[in-house]
Amino acid sequence: MKHYSEEDLILHYYGEAERWSTGAGRRRRRQDIEQHVDECPTCADVYRSLVGTLRQLETSEVPERGEQYGLEVWQRIRARLPEPEAPWWAQWLRWNRLAAVAGIAMLVVAAFVGGRSWPTAENPVPPAASAPSTSAQAAPPADGRQRILLTSVAEHLDRSERVLTDIMNTTNGGDISTEQGWAEDLVSASRLYRQEAVDVGEQSVASVLDELERNLLEVVHSPSRITAAQLDDVRRRIDAAALLFKVRVLGDELRQRELAMPSAVPHARALTSHIS
Amino acid sequence: MEAEISTVLARARQGDSEAFRTLVERHSRSAFRLAFRMTGNEHDAEDVVQDSFLRAYRQLARFESRAHFGTWLHRIVANCSVDLLRARRSRQDYVRAEDLDAIVEQPSEDAAGPERLARSAEIDRFVAGALAQLSPLERAAFTLRHYEGRSIAEISKTLGLNTSAAKHSVFRAVRKLRAALAPIRSES
Repeated sequence: MKHYSEEDLILHYYGEAERWSTGAGRRRRRQDIEQHVDECPTCADVYRSLVGTLRQLETSEVPERGEQYGLEVWQRIRARLPEPEAPWWAQWLRWNRLAAVAGIAMLVVAAFVGGRSWPTAENPVPPAASAPSTSAQAAPPADGRQRILLTSVAEHLDRSERVLTDIMNTTNGGDISTEQGWAEDLVSASRLYRQEAVDVGEQSVASVLDELERNLLEVVHSPSRITAAQLDDVRRRIDAAALLFKVRVLGDELRQRELAMPSAVPHARALTSHIS
Repeated sequence: MEAEISTVLARARQGDSEAFRTLVERHSRSAFRLAFRMTGNEHDAEDVVQDSFLRAYRQLARFESRAHFGTWLHRIVANCSVDLLRARRSRQDYVRAEDLDAIVEQPSEDAAGPERLARSAEIDRFVAGALAQLSPLERAAFTLRHYEGRSIAEISKTLGLNTSAAKHSVFRAVRKLRAALAPIRSES
């Protein structure tokens, strides 16, 4: 005699045995299982124990909430309602996002063109190393792309530091809609820089940008008329992540690295203005 | 009634917070029931309800007007609960197997009156402990199947799993619960 599995019996208990069975006997699944459980002591034992357990679970009760509960929930959340997201098409049509996307596209094209025409004479490759390596041939574009990224991210971190400092120093409670506007612009740019950093293998830069993005989002999603307690929460999170410190240190480090590179890309700074 | 709900939803989607208030008042209790089943804790359930409404408000633009708001909200509640259970698990803040053993070992014979009630409360705690041992996804899938009467297909959609994963989450949950509750079943 073929026994039914525990899974079959669970599906049978919940009335889904037919839905998940295949083959010719599908329609008769329920009757087949019922009949089998009646006749087979082994399956009957398993099924009885299964039903016993599941019925025992039905007795656990949920604490009752009164008629006014909905109103209580509303009172608790009304001051914390975030800005609703715009529909997806509206999000893509926002001018600052379009500008950021266009800026990044130009950045990538510039990195590619800059890399192709990078003056190799300034940094001559030893003949022995220059021979067959394809990665050496690919290096210049990546180098140019990385340089532009360093410059752009350093400036982005400067702007972010100013916004975070504003938030940290703002008077307790009040209107932070201006800071939220700045933070929102920075979030879009930050996301694109982070992606670019991942692409060029700058994991530590990407990680700080990720943390920055999350904290900026917190600011964006806070109520515009923020209470002292809510503002304290935001500040505590920024403090806990030592975010201002990380942003400053990374900004300095990127500028040092940029200076240490052989020569600057003349139009890199001009390009970053497209993104800001 | 249907037309009235559509109007409220349309106004809420345009950012009318008073319309959203109507939705909060209408759906809070069912959201709490689901959140409590998922988390097993009143305080956590309250947090989940509030977070879910805040998330729903932010994402109202994504809500398809053809769908039922309650179903959509329950999906958010389920996912907020899973997030909370995961965070709670990472803090190792759940009932341990030894706690369940301690409950089973308590004497039950000749229990009557207040003692019997106390025993019944202990069994409730035992059941709660058994549920707390499930993984967040198992608990969510089981709650939706067992308490909310959702089909496997609906569970997979709610939790963003494929149907096979949803089905096996329910199977694993039932198997674990059977094993965990076997001691009190053999007593009764």
